[in-house]
Amino acid sequence: MSNYTVIGKRVHRIDGTEKVTGNAKFTFDLVLSNMLYGKILRSPHPHAKIVNLDTTQAEKLIGVKAVVTGKDTLGRKNGIWRRFPELCDEEILCRAKVRFVGDPVAAVAAIDEDTAEEACQLIRVEYEELPAVFDPLEAIKEEAPQIHEGVELNINVTRHIEWGDVDEAFKRCDYVREDRFKTSSQHHVCMETHDAVASFDYNGKLTVWTSTQSSYYIQRLLADMLGLREGDIRVIKPPTGGGFGSKFELDSAQFCASVLSMKLCRPVKIVLTRAEEFTATKRRTPMHYFSKLGAKKDGTFLAKEVRVLTEGGAYTGMGATALYLTGFFSSFPYKFPNYRYDGYRVYTNTAPTSACRGFGAPQSTFVGESQIDMLAEALGIDPIEIRRKNGMTPNYEVPGQAFIQSCELHQCLDKTEEQIKQRGKLPPNHGIGVACYGFMSGGIFNWFDTPYAFSSALVRINIDGKVDLFTGACEIGQGSDTTLSMICAEELGVRLEDIRIHSGDTGICPADLGSWGSRETLMNGNAVKMAAADAKRQLMAFAAAKLGANIVYDLNMTDRWFHLVDRPERGFSYYDIVKGVIRGNDGEAIIGRGHYTPHRKGMISPAYSFGVQAVEVEVDPETGRYKLVNVSTAHGSGKVINPVGIEGQLEGAIMMAGGYGFCEDQPMDNGKILNPSFDDYKLIRSLDMPEVKILEIESYEPEGPFGAKEAGEGLTNPTAGAIGNAIYKAIGVRINDLPITPEKVFRALREKENQGK
Amino acid sequence: MAYHCPVCNKVSSSAMDLTRHMIGRGDKVHRDWINSKGFKFSELLALQFKSFGGEGYRALAEILEKEAKVEG
Repeated sequence: MSNYTVIGKRVHRIDGTEKVTGNAKFTFDLVLSNMLYGKILRSPHPHAKIVNLDTTQAEKLIGVKAVVTGKDTLGRKNGIWRRFPELCDEEILCRAKVRFVGDPVAAVAAIDEDTAEEACQLIRVEYEELPAVFDPLEAIKEEAPQIHEGVELNINVTRHIEWGDVDEAFKRCDYVREDRFKTSSQHHVCMETHDAVASFDYNGKLTVWTSTQSSYYIQRLLADMLGLREGDIRVIKPPTGGGFGSKFELDSAQFCASVLSMKLCRPVKIVLTRAEEFTATKRRTPMHYFSKLGAKKDGTFLAKEVRVLTEGGAYTGMGATALYLTGFFSSFPYKFPNYRYDGYRVYTNTAPTSACRGFGAPQSTFVGESQIDMLAEALGIDPIEIRRKNGMTPNYEVPGQAFIQSCELHQCLDKTEEQIKQRGKLPPNHGIGVACYGFMSGGIFNWFDTPYAFSSALVRINIDGKVDLFTGACEIGQGSDTTLSMICAEELGVRLEDIRIHSGDTGICPADLGSWGSRETLMNGNAVKMAAADAKRQLMAFAAAKLGANIVYDLNMTDRWFHLVDRPERGFSYYDIVKGVIRGNDGEAIIGRGHYTPHRKGMISPAYSFGVQAVEVEVDPETGRYKLVNVSTAHGSGKVINPVGIEGQLEGAIMMAGGYGFCEDQPMDNGKILNPSFDDYKLIRSLDMPEVKILEIESYEPEGPFGAKEAGEGLTNPTAGAIGNAIYKAIGVRINDLPITPEKVFRALREKENQGK
Repeated sequence: MAYHCPVCNKVSSSAMDLTRHMIGRGDKVHRDWINSKGFKFSELLALQFKSFGGEGYRALAEILEKEAKVEG
């Protein structure tokens, strides 16, 4: 039986009521007195020089208060890889050249959105169109147009990972296969588009309310771009309608609203339209994958070689990290004794690609899991068995890269196998495909070059026993406020309703790198636990003296009751102890501090989740149409803090990853995205959702708070691969390029029929 | 064996590894060195994504086998 009083319980989100009742105030809802509304004029060309930019007519329009262009900025280049200046390549407001359809060239502030929109249409921009390139395989040719000055062949970043002797190992393999894959783009489709309200005052202080995954990053990046000190910028994150990787870089709404507000000393609000969101914000990275896999006759993997060329789009963003992670996760979650990865990120004249839930891992998992099934079939080995034979185990070291402590992969495989057996004999044209996966619990890499701890938290206990928890963690809809409050309550020994969390406000919260890479539960959770323990220690000292206990370790506090561990009836009320300590503190509230930065935990992450997903599909062999029937997932996330939270994450992930595998894409014509609306961008809707089952896995991660680790992005990784494998099981055709649309299935079926004739 | 990059002196364990370093690095000085040996850098790179044989890499590795400073 669990000794915990808060964690592990099914808890509804602490911000749930205000959100479902419509009372939550998002950035979108904010109205400040004297506030203006901004709009951004964007390039209609994929690649062009700005010859002339005339804002005269726009400025004359009644109701227009300011028009800004690149000339109103310091001309600095934005980038989140601050450690590498050459990767800071985005002006945001372009001064001389545009590089994709949607690149911003000017911004207007006016009394309302319609006036601002009209003013944008009055801005005259004379462009000199340049040759453009959209395919990374074309962009690396010498005759291709150069997108960024000095970046020859448009090669933005390269990454290499290697261990063992790959060439020698391939010679020892009984079976080697080489396959090519192509993965597609995907948009984050946040319910709340990118938006910001910026207010610059006469004292030279800028306050920005914005929908973001990291208020700390935005503060720092704005300071760089605007030439202000960090302390002069306060970034406040109101309730946020989703991020999925799209909101931890400085965006055009935040930057343009700030530039306009600084010019006018008035608040300016910019909300991107849905069409802008689709065309002018970043997206999931499409990748060309070349994968070579070798094994012994018994299915033991000996070597893997992967080469990846990614479509970078116009700017770096977080794409360089996606390039590295897709290489790392191409080896996951298996023990490859010999492995080599060469990755190249290439600039193209398309909307920039960057982080998107899974951060390169959904691509590598689709490729890896498809190829493993192909290899297993060729060797006549059961797909689960080959995964069991090669799967990672606890305390495994990925050579030179990572140390795995907890690993539940084999438990997950057992549970999944059991589940598949329970499904019994499948009807005709049904198939079940499996895919294994793993993911990081926050990234260790410090490309942002911050001197701060990766996560920090502060706990303040007030005279009435209420606890204020301050953290820079960003609640973006994933439930971190609830999870962190539960960790705080558990560690302190109080109830969840005793905690009031203040998060994502740089003015009052300690620094945290934000919500990306599935980091908040482990990293911020550790900081919160430490801060709560620090505060509790101060209470303990007083309680121990009052109780006359032998040593402080004899004491504990559970459910607002300080007591001797062995004699729980002997104790004091939490409230009495709090009052006593504050009185003895000269009236000062009790403050606890905590911080967490992973040290000596490898290159990638301090901990990894593992899981297995089984997807059942039903395919119509006449039309190629198919539907997802059942998705069963065994996910090892260490100690589950809130079971309701993990269920929500899983359902959301299946919707998002199912869409990635099934229908979501961003086709382009001459660099212009053709489906920038919900009419044309195909998503999995509620009626398309399959039956979803969670297969419970018990585990404990030593590095995590109370043994917890990630349960966010990892869940997005397996679905596309499992769908591909399921379709093959159902009708015997394999699709190597995403998304696996019914049209592709139909064509493959016809091709198979023709070959059979 | 330690193979030294003729451009930046980075040490690799084999000529093939050194080839991978030089192409992966991909900056102007590395490209110029490769091009000076009669190769076309962009073609070598594109070959990576057209075939698995690594023919282009092997040809460069043969040159490096002879021309790189080797120790051990």
